[in-house]
Amino acid sequence: MSGGRAARSAEKRLRRLLVVLPWLMERGAASVAETAQRFDISESDLVRDLELASMCGLPPYVDELIDLFIDDDGTIVVGVPRLFLRPLRLTEEEAFELLAAGRAAMQLPGADPDGALNRGLRKLAVGLGEDDTGVLVVSPNPSEVTRLAEAAREGLEVAVVYRSRTRDEATERVLSPFLTFQDHGNWYVMAHDSLSDEVRAFRVDRIESMEVGGASGHVPPEGIDVPNTWFADADIARVDLRLGPAGRWVVERYPVDEVSEPDGDGWISARLAVTGEAWLARLLLRLGDQVEVVGPESMRSVGREAARRLLAVYGET
Amino acid sequence: MADRVERLTNLLALLLETREPLTLDVIAAELGGQYPDGHDARRASFERDKAALRDIGIEISSETLTGDRAGQMGYWVVRNEMEIPDLGLDEEELRALQLALAATRPGSETGREAMWKLGGGPDDGQVFVAMSVPTAEVLPVLRGALGDRRAVSFSYAGVDRVVEPWGILLRDGFWYLVGHDRSRGDRRTFRVDRIGEGRVTVLDDAVVVPSDFDIRSALPADPMMLGADQHSVRSARVSIGRQRAFSAVRELGHDRVLARNEDGSVEVAVPFANLDALVSWVLGFLEHAVVLEPDDVRDEVVRRLRAVAS
Repeated sequence: MSGGRAARSAEKRLRRLLVVLPWLMERGAASVAETAQRFDISESDLVRDLELASMCGLPPYVDELIDLFIDDDGTIVVGVPRLFLRPLRLTEEEAFELLAAGRAAMQLPGADPDGALNRGLRKLAVGLGEDDTGVLVVSPNPSEVTRLAEAAREGLEVAVVYRSRTRDEATERVLSPFLTFQDHGNWYVMAHDSLSDEVRAFRVDRIESMEVGGASGHVPPEGIDVPNTWFADADIARVDLRLGPAGRWVVERYPVDEVSEPDGDGWISARLAVTGEAWLARLLLRLGDQVEVVGPESMRSVGREAARRLLAVYGET
Repeated sequence: MADRVERLTNLLALLLETREPLTLDVIAAELGGQYPDGHDARRASFERDKAALRDIGIEISSETLTGDRAGQMGYWVVRNEMEIPDLGLDEEELRALQLALAATRPGSETGREAMWKLGGGPDDGQVFVAMSVPTAEVLPVLRGALGDRRAVSFSYAGVDRVVEPWGILLRDGFWYLVGHDRSRGDRRTFRVDRIGEGRVTVLDDAVVVPSDFDIRSALPADPMMLGADQHSVRSARVSIGRQRAFSAVRELGHDRVLARNEDGSVEVAVPFANLDALVSWVLGFLEHAVVLEPDDVRDEVVRRLRAVAS
């Protein structure tokens, strides 16, 4: 990962230098290539910043300088370790990032309460003087997820009956799972799908049955990532709603683009992402008289029509 | 002019090694020409450097001096406050933290820098099970206040609030702050990503978290059981259509199934304490769920539907 990067700010260079220097001082020597790779910096940037550092210290006293040089075969050699012997403290942001990641990972299937992660988190809490008992991550873990994760780890294929919500039909497919992940409370499996011959994400709660089979023969494509902007997708339709005081929970529960301040009667206006007409119909029925669809026009009748269909099911008109 | 990184490094070395607070004049003299000569320009450069060091987590201590330098500011850096203490993490624990980051905050620059400080190596483990964990600018500050037991103030839904933080919760992809809202005199839950403009002020007021508060129950797992006690729980018989039978049974448990019909639909017993929440749950199935009994529940569903249909 080198070349093509933008000019680095002085803060960023110094921040990197202050993790590289203690690491070098502890080891005494390391190759330029290894150091550059480990700290994700180009070799030329690394050499430039280390040469600069080797002239830093307390002028004019020569024996107070940062004592290192780079020899002809690309080895960084530290003389007397001094000045920057230990990395900086974790910032609040960094401490939270580790804690949140650790807490969340402890909720994933297969996490061991006596395992290395929990031990590491405890040491972090003690060493940093952090009281983290008030932070909690809640995650539902259906047993299917554990089995799919194991299949991904072992490279096995899984025969499933999957019910698609949009077309409302059950299909038989053979999935080669690469990754199971949870997003906004729902579990998905990213897998190669025999029916479409594509890599797709499937909702785990729509898998009606599954049977783990033999080796899959499909390798994970490059760059499979956990999508963390599921709803930020600009292609998803939006609806403008007016929400009464008892319906304001909606903006707490679902991603919204905009929310107004409450008017005199406590009603607010909000713009929400609509993931499907059925989703909107459910929301409108549940809200009852606490919601009004402002627009677009095509969505104004969704609630009314759903209610009429349902009344017919109850034998009422 | 010297490279700014060089000046910052020299400044930091000087402030770390000094045995007494240094005035800006002394600092400029020690660094021999790396700061501008003019008084105002020198002060401005120094303030920029202080801010840059603070940004990477180094706090410069200062105090007003006395004696022959009375009235001048003296500056220094405390090494113990700057450096990370030895946390005693072994290789296995470091790898586990690294994997946790890869599974929940992939590509996080902040997480990677944190791992470097802890001594973690390159990220090479493969992840098979993952969870998207959102981030919000104000989370670290809120957690700091929670740990220090301090009240916070922020703007939420257009209203300024003073809140005593009791806990922080991640559920279904959203972070929540639970605490006592002084402005309302009651317990409230706030979605962290909707706290106004990224500005949270930590107040000096100390907070006492009630000893019986349990963050696990801050958001009830099952809204249908809101307000439940042993006398108030009732049961509704609901028919669920073939297309949704599978997921409904999964949610309720097999022991709630009263009957399985040939067309694939099921009849289930749904315990509830909160009528509104039950009706809301049933309506969530659209035409795939019908309340069979008791009558008052069925009537309430129909009443709600009529209101929407008209």
